[in-house]
Amino acid sequence: MSAVDWYLALATALFCIGAYGVLARRNVVLVVMSLELMLNAVNIALVAFATFIPASRAVDASKGQLFVLFVIAIAAAEVTVGLAIVIANYRTKRNVQADRFDEMKG
Amino acid sequence: MIPGGDFHPLLFALTAAWVLACGIGVVAFRSIVRSAVSMVLCFVGVAGIYALLYAPLLAIIQLLIYVGAISVVIIYAIMLTPAQSGDMRLFFNRQSLFALPLAIATALLLIFVLVTSAIPGVTSKAHGVSLKTLSDLLFNQYVFPFELVSFVLLAAVIGAIVLARREESP
Repeated sequence: MSAVDWYLALATALFCIGAYGVLARRNVVLVVMSLELMLNAVNIALVAFATFIPASRAVDASKGQLFVLFVIAIAAAEVTVGLAIVIANYRTKRNVQADRFDEMKG
Repeated sequence: MIPGGDFHPLLFALTAAWVLACGIGVVAFRSIVRSAVSMVLCFVGVAGIYALLYAPLLAIIQLLIYVGAISVVIIYAIMLTPAQSGDMRLFFNRQSLFALPLAIATALLLIFVLVTSAIPGVTSKAHGVSLKTLSDLLFNQYVFPFELVSFVLLAAVIGAIVLARREESP
């Protein structure tokens, strides 16, 4: 395995840990935390690809890192709105359990 | 001056073990406060991974945004919602028995694809990115997405205030 493969393996492992948290845990705040883990795993993969390309393609490498900056900014927006929804739902329904978020079920 | 160099197996192994141990802690701890602390430590480890990947700007931004800002928002949400106590079935939902095989199967599938496929155009030597190239791209070619992100953040802040604001009783 080359160097980039190790970083991608780490990203895979972290992504699947986050996916397990999203699927298995009940508390919605913890589901949001697991989502952040998954986003971090994707960022690691992007930076790994950006770092291990030839030096002649430095602009492409910059684009890889730039994309991570945008992902981090969107993740900040996502976690703000997500947790605001969780708190608003707790105020009205007294509920933070993911399997009871079923008001919109048909 | 472009930073770059070799792959450090020992440093990588230590940092990766740190990240994975803290990541498992996030999903496995029963106390959500312990999960949050574990998540903060995991984010610090990811910043270390960025530093090992010769991306110092991203390592600093990871510390500022994730460890500094996102963690604080999540800890506030933990403070505003009740902590659970009780036996294990209150922490894991009914589908959690299927979640573990599904996560492991996804990991095996991704590792299988990773091992069997040759990724074209990668080198074994790491090349960082100079800050000048990055800022040139960000403020010339990608200035419109940059401004759009600021607009998205503004919309998210206003949306969060509207959603989480306490309704005034008439």
